[in-house]
Amino acid sequence: MSQRSRLVLAVLVLTVLAMTCVPLLRAQSPELPPGPMQGKVTTACTECHESRIILQQRLSKAAWTKEVDKMIKWGAVVDAADRDGFIEYLSTNFPTDKPPYEAGKTSAEKRKK
Amino acid sequence: MISRRDFLKRTSAAIAAAGAIQPLLGWATEDSGVIPGKEGMIVRSFRFLDLEMPPEYANLFITPVPHFFVRDHMHEPSTLDAAEWRLAIGGEVEKPMTLSLADLAKLEPHTVTNTLECAGNGRAFHTPHVPGVQWQRGAVGTARFSGPRLRDLLERAGVKPAGKHVMFHGLDEVPGKVPPFIRSIPLDKATDADTLIALQMNGAALTKHHGFPARALVPGWVGAASCKWLAEVKVLDKEFEGNFMNPGYRMPNQPIKPGEAVRPEETHPVTALNVKSLIASPSDGASLESRSVHIQGAAWAGETDIARVEISTDDGATWQSAQLGKEHAHYAWRLWSHTWKAPKAGTYTILSRATDTQGRTQPATAVWNPSGYLYNAIDQVKIHVAA
Repeated sequence: MSQRSRLVLAVLVLTVLAMTCVPLLRAQSPELPPGPMQGKVTTACTECHESRIILQQRLSKAAWTKEVDKMIKWGAVVDAADRDGFIEYLSTNFPTDKPPYEAGKTSAEKRKK
Repeated sequence: MISRRDFLKRTSAAIAAAGAIQPLLGWATEDSGVIPGKEGMIVRSFRFLDLEMPPEYANLFITPVPHFFVRDHMHEPSTLDAAEWRLAIGGEVEKPMTLSLADLAKLEPHTVTNTLECAGNGRAFHTPHVPGVQWQRGAVGTARFSGPRLRDLLERAGVKPAGKHVMFHGLDEVPGKVPPFIRSIPLDKATDADTLIALQMNGAALTKHHGFPARALVPGWVGAASCKWLAEVKVLDKEFEGNFMNPGYRMPNQPIKPGEAVRPEETHPVTALNVKSLIASPSDGASLESRSVHIQGAAWAGETDIARVEISTDDGATWQSAQLGKEHAHYAWRLWSHTWKAPKAGTYTILSRATDTQGRTQPATAVWNPSGYLYNAIDQVKIHVAA
């Protein structure tokens, strides 16, 4: 095989790999809903745990207040001026009467040939 | 029954494979949806890893490891060299000890078939909702755990008269200022003949998600008692004081109304599991062609035995006894089955209700508590019968 053919083959293999892997990489860890605090909540909370932990909660404002204060105590970096905004964002987006979060399943492992 | 020679051989193989296991001890592959060795599990969270068993697997007496639920409170150890790993035994003992995996493997092994259930299994069904991992029906499974008895190790170390509780500390990696996941159990339970330092699960070395190379196995109790990636066993003169003993993993002594304050001294740690049943099939929402419906599942009661399981298809007006399966072990769930003929095509709700040998029966509504522990209301699935 010529050097050029090898190069073409390598590019082809890498392209196929990229096409098959990228959608998988993009598929998981859903984003938090849009809103003024989306970015700050994402940064502060997903430092330690992923977004699903938040997405599946259905809590009152009082319960969200307890959770936010607990997490700040446990090291979540939240500017004091943002605390109320965090509670407002979380209790507005994940209130008690929102329909349940639909959980997915782990994917099949690619079999080794 | 596992022979000491077989046990040693399998555990030695695990030590030899430690080099191969180490790369697997990285993070869960959050971005690909693939968790090697865990296929088709309900994802509550990838980080921390919290995977729920689909209820259909409760038709097997022994849950295969790939379908066994996973509850991590923290990050799993990022590296763990089995050859370097040691278990320290100390605190209120005459002779503190440090044991290698090979040392543990040489001790007399014991096997306990145990139903392990997360204290928060069913939390999602509490009304009003409570914070935490929103487990539904499958944070439970049954496995054969093998390893030396904890009491044999404590006897060697010699527990001092002051020793009252036994604390377990694992190698989970703690993020931020989160308190470490450390809990303790009373000495009586720690020295029970069935409380183990488990090195194997279903006849093979523990996998990383289940606590490789060693975990505590506290049979009949909530999963949180059975500390994974165990590194330290410490005898204390009182219950361990830390977040995961108080306020974590505690129940009010008396039922309280949602929102009502409860004083810490009016709570107790969650220990043994409740009486409970789970319908494995038909699945919730299933459409069935035949009016003859085969209903099956599992029932368990922590430290006690299941006496009966009953099925209702008329919203609890009448109940029929299910047949209990032949396989039986003290701390393990009991399989059950029942065949019911639907009178006509339509939509039905199937209810299952277990009763244990102490006379405890599953309630229609579980006792609400602020952290949603020990949910055990009567199980139910809705089905549609076509013909």
